[in-house]
Amino acid sequence: MINFKLTIGILLIALLLVTAIVGPLITPHFFPGEDPTEVGAYPTLDLPSPKHPLGTDILGRDAVVIIINGIRLSLIIGVVGGFMSTLIGVILGFIAGYVGKRTDTILRIFIDMVLVIPILPLLLLLSLYIPKWNIFTMGILLGIFSWAFVARTTRAQVLSLRERSYVDLARLNNEGTLEIIFEELLPGLLPYVILSLAGATVGNMLAEAGLQLIGIGAGLPPTLGSIMGRAYNGGALSLGLYGQLLIPAGILIMVFLALNLINMGLEERFNPRLRQYAEER
Amino acid sequence: MERNLKSLDKPDRNPAQFRSTLRNKLQPYTPVIMYILRRFGIYLITVWGAVTLAFIFFHSMPGDPFSIIFSALERENIGRVTGGPEVAAAYKRMLGLDQPLFIQYIFFLRNVLIRGFDLGPSFINFPQGTREVIFRQLPWTIGYFTTAMLIAWGIGTLFGALLGWMRRKGFTSVAIAIATLLQITPVYIIAIAAIILLGYQLQWLPTGQPYDPGLMPNWRDWNFIKNVLWHAVMPVSSMVLIWGASFTLGMRSLMISVLGEDYLTYANAKGLSPAIVLRDYAFRNALLPQVTSLGIALGGTINGVLILEAIFVIPGIGGIFIRAMALHDFNVMQGVVLLSIVTVLTLGLIVDLFLPFLDPRIRRLND
Repeated sequence: MINFKLTIGILLIALLLVTAIVGPLITPHFFPGEDPTEVGAYPTLDLPSPKHPLGTDILGRDAVVIIINGIRLSLIIGVVGGFMSTLIGVILGFIAGYVGKRTDTILRIFIDMVLVIPILPLLLLLSLYIPKWNIFTMGILLGIFSWAFVARTTRAQVLSLRERSYVDLARLNNEGTLEIIFEELLPGLLPYVILSLAGATVGNMLAEAGLQLIGIGAGLPPTLGSIMGRAYNGGALSLGLYGQLLIPAGILIMVFLALNLINMGLEERFNPRLRQYAEER
Repeated sequence: MERNLKSLDKPDRNPAQFRSTLRNKLQPYTPVIMYILRRFGIYLITVWGAVTLAFIFFHSMPGDPFSIIFSALERENIGRVTGGPEVAAAYKRMLGLDQPLFIQYIFFLRNVLIRGFDLGPSFINFPQGTREVIFRQLPWTIGYFTTAMLIAWGIGTLFGALLGWMRRKGFTSVAIAIATLLQITPVYIIAIAAIILLGYQLQWLPTGQPYDPGLMPNWRDWNFIKNVLWHAVMPVSSMVLIWGASFTLGMRSLMISVLGEDYLTYANAKGLSPAIVLRDYAFRNALLPQVTSLGIALGGTINGVLILEAIFVIPGIGGIFIRAMALHDFNVMQGVVLLSIVTVLTLGLIVDLFLPFLDPRIRRLND
């Protein structure tokens, strides 16, 4: 049986990835002899025309081309940040859940502490010290500040995996600690790791856009967030160039929607109670 | 005198016996007391740790605020500021920033915990303290966000309970799809969409200021209050939309899981009317976790506060933070971060302490 939600989610993600990878290779052919992403290549805030379907932005770049490039840049920021937070989160959560006892108590309190420290103000503070952002500093910083949630869910998963009977069996068979970790626990944990990686990636893409809207991250190449920020703060809206704001916003919503659909689809697929519920419909 | 002596002779005035009666009376409540003490201990440790982490973070920034301010001045004026380093050193001495970090930490803890959140002077409004600067603008943030959150919670809880109760009848799937879409849309996109649609296009609601610029802020003047409320309609309703959607979905899934419980089947089998089953059995049981999520949501909105206040131009603590950041006012920035940490943790504590009174199952869990 084909799962409707799963299929649509995967198709949306595939569409996005194809645009991000292939798009920047194709766009130069529409503008022979020009660089549509160069600052001041065209008059600023040009109204939509056949050559510039969404007009140009406040810095005189073609809006369609920078949006296509922006998808790629936003994805890179999201993935770098997602890897960072998943790595830290899974390691700490795993140690807390697996070692248990006092280590667990200390780590849990530490995770809770980090969880209540608001991320955005700290990123804003750090931004004072970063004269020139690039997409990797942005991604890594977002990742460093957002691992606590991953750590918490990983810990809960490890706690439940540790008590499974096949792990007890492995212990009775005198398997070593490393063997238990790598052969019994990590394979069971993998789906959650992948899901939290995907979740953290999308979360970081959205967080980056939010930062850009309040003016943080100057000097970054045009990500989806900075395109939105420029459109909102730079007067593109008063000229009626809504596409420059709504299309990046729509793409961000689409990524999030796709992730949610995949998540729901997977759950319906692998959770028998929900599967029955879904088949009734 | 005589009466006093007599009462001393009474058996329950005997200290040892009194203690044992007390112990017997408290016996059934021991789990609750242990729960409260434990929870309170964790609260204190977490507050201390998070505040310390914030302190370390703010003080591990390279350079001190004054050197940064002076170098920014130099950059802006394209030239040297005479006597910059000396003035910076004098200010640092005045604020105790020349002390070793450990001493600063001790003073910091004393000022925050004992002197009641005293974080020293604010640099942007110099002679004024950070506390005054923050607390003066705090009512705006509380007014906007708490109102919006409470309305969203109320609507979301009722609507979610209804959706859960109806399962898959009628318009539920459409409502669920809309709520899901609203929930996953980032806060700022809905805010901007509201401004574009209602503010610029239809021009129904005012945007970009908390009240008309011609008015003098005066909370006794009914016209001023009306104006503020009118300007608050759009920000508050878009926040209600955003949070209401997630409260609705949360309540709906809680409701569905309660509906699957055996005691609900039993209540139905007893022949209770559906209204009573819904109100006293399903709704009440689903409400408890929903209260917890209100506490978490109320505390955890600081990130949203920053962005939404910037977009809607609300003069609350988010606005102060952004202004403080532009002027490198570290004390105010630290104050906002600390305030939000303490708020999140305290609301969490209050919710957790209320739960055993609302939910007998938690009391028994500790046995």
